[in-house]
Amino acid sequence: MSGAATEGPLLEAVDLEKHFPLHGAGIFNRQTASLRAVDGVSLQIQPGETLGLVGETGCGKSTLARCLTRLYDVTGGTVRFQGKDITSLSRREMRPLRREMQMIFQDPYGSLNPRRRVGSIIGDAFSIHGIEDGAGRKRRVQELMELVGLNPEHYNRFPADFSGGQRQRIGVARALALKPKLIVCDEPVSALDVSIQAQVLNLLTDLQDELNLTYLFISHDLSVVRHVSDRIAVMYLGKIVEVAPSDELFDGTRHPYTRALLSALPPADPDTADSRERIVLVGDLPSPVNPPSGCRFHPRCPKAQKDCVEVVPSLEPVLDDEPGHRTACLHPVRAGEDLSRARPAIEDTELTSVTEEGAG
Amino acid sequence: MTQVHATGGEVQTTEQVRRIEGRSPWVLAWERLRRDRLAMFSLGVIILIVLVALFAPVFAAITGHGPNEQYRDIGLTPQGLPVAPNSTFWFGTDDLGRDVLVRVAYGARVSLGVGVLATLLTVVIGVVVGLTAGFIGGVTDTVLARFIDVVLSFPFLLAAIALVSIIGPSLTVTIFVIGFFSWASMARIVRGQVLSVKEREYVEAARSLGAGNGRIMLIDVFPNVLAPVIVYTTLLIPVVIVIQATLSFLGLGLQPPTPDWGGMIDESRNYYQTAWWFMFFPGIALVITTLAFNLFGDGVRDAFDPRVERLMRG
Repeated sequence: MSGAATEGPLLEAVDLEKHFPLHGAGIFNRQTASLRAVDGVSLQIQPGETLGLVGETGCGKSTLARCLTRLYDVTGGTVRFQGKDITSLSRREMRPLRREMQMIFQDPYGSLNPRRRVGSIIGDAFSIHGIEDGAGRKRRVQELMELVGLNPEHYNRFPADFSGGQRQRIGVARALALKPKLIVCDEPVSALDVSIQAQVLNLLTDLQDELNLTYLFISHDLSVVRHVSDRIAVMYLGKIVEVAPSDELFDGTRHPYTRALLSALPPADPDTADSRERIVLVGDLPSPVNPPSGCRFHPRCPKAQKDCVEVVPSLEPVLDDEPGHRTACLHPVRAGEDLSRARPAIEDTELTSVTEEGAG
Repeated sequence: MTQVHATGGEVQTTEQVRRIEGRSPWVLAWERLRRDRLAMFSLGVIILIVLVALFAPVFAAITGHGPNEQYRDIGLTPQGLPVAPNSTFWFGTDDLGRDVLVRVAYGARVSLGVGVLATLLTVVIGVVVGLTAGFIGGVTDTVLARFIDVVLSFPFLLAAIALVSIIGPSLTVTIFVIGFFSWASMARIVRGQVLSVKEREYVEAARSLGAGNGRIMLIDVFPNVLAPVIVYTTLLIPVVIVIQATLSFLGLGLQPPTPDWGGMIDESRNYYQTAWWFMFFPGIALVITTLAFNLFGDGVRDAFDPRVERLMRG
């Protein structure tokens, strides 16, 4: 988080919403409902930092990333990049900004066009933006390949000739081509073997130091996120429930959901494993089509109280936390509290009746 | 690695160069196709038929018989019946004393010409409509997809017969009628492929680099839907050839005396008991042509099919 204070955030989202319309069957399909993938997210990314974004599969992480980079049109809220409102820029107006923010994708097999040579895939950035030609472009591409640890002589190969880790390096090279300030990494290592994960993560952190990059690092794997992030935001069902500096999030966890995620991490020392609390969440992630009322986590929360069903908690510092540590919880976890013995104080019937009411 | 290469030591250097070069999916498919004996044999037959069509005048020159010349003296028996195959008329003659061999050779021109042109027309319309519908989506897609459904629900032969009898038969009409009624299934295939390809991450990656729609369609989507297009095209050619022959057989294709296989089979209907060669040679030409294209099409499909790819590697 060095040198952050002077310029203000590189990327900022305020009350960002993305709803996908759901259509009924038939020819004249009217919109019957909407899927609220991102529902009121506010966050800031400071220049030079890595913001980790964690959450279960389906909680809206990737959608949020695509809204921030404006690959999706947003339903509501504001996105600012370097102080400039980019919420409603057209595709054409976004083009110059594409040089500033890039993405690394999850699937190293799906994110590279199988019918094109690696050289042209990486060189795309140059041809789209009309930078360099012929020999100059080839030289730049080969420099990039070298930078990410690929053999520049493999310029003319096809993606199928590479392994998963190498393909992800190609994806990194493509993202770096335009020398962006911000790179959104959407689960960049989830599809890789554990041994390869470390290599790619180290590559990303080395590149950050070398090129002064800012990352938004998305993953469902907390240990990966902790390894690379300065700050971590935890997402649940389209909302951010807790955001804090990495160590703070791990040591002074406030949100019961974060605590549950942390308790699922394998311990570094197996001997202490038995003595640890293990919080097992009941039920599945509720449908974002029809999210629970009040605090969205209440149906699965071990600490849920009556007010959790009705009141929507706002993301703010709780108890006596620093301003950088914000939690959206009415009954945050105190230091030393054992959640594994906590029981929700709401009846099951009450729960179902309220959720059904929300459905109607 | 070296152990593997030890068996083919002398190709090691060229092999290494090629490894760095990387072989495109097209080259890989072609190499798979080349290992398919039946497909290569079919390709040979197709080339032979193309040569026959191209050099049809040579057949006329060798035999000394024009395609529409009637040899009422030597080409017909005293009873006025077709003459059986002999040293002058290798494939015999037809009911007007014309050389069946020369007419079959010239007929290949019509069949292949219509087959290729109508297929091309079908492919172009189908790909353009399919790409547009699938890629743009929304209302455009809905309208085009329904239009495809409408065209597909036409009873093809009935509609074609009606149309040709209104406009009047000719080569151009035949091609356009076939093209008009065949593009819809191609468009449907392309649209389906585009719908799946455009959700791939590499399309999103191109977009995040700032690529426009045109570029994405041309560079990222089209090459990735090309394989099924090629497969369907090779399988469409024989269908089109048969449709053309059918139209001619019904008297709605080319008009006499232009030689074409469907028309010849039509003319031979009354003679199949007395002059088998009259029906046999155009018929067998039609069968061999469609069979060759079908077998070759199967080979092409297998060459592009990733499941077969895995089988051959494993």
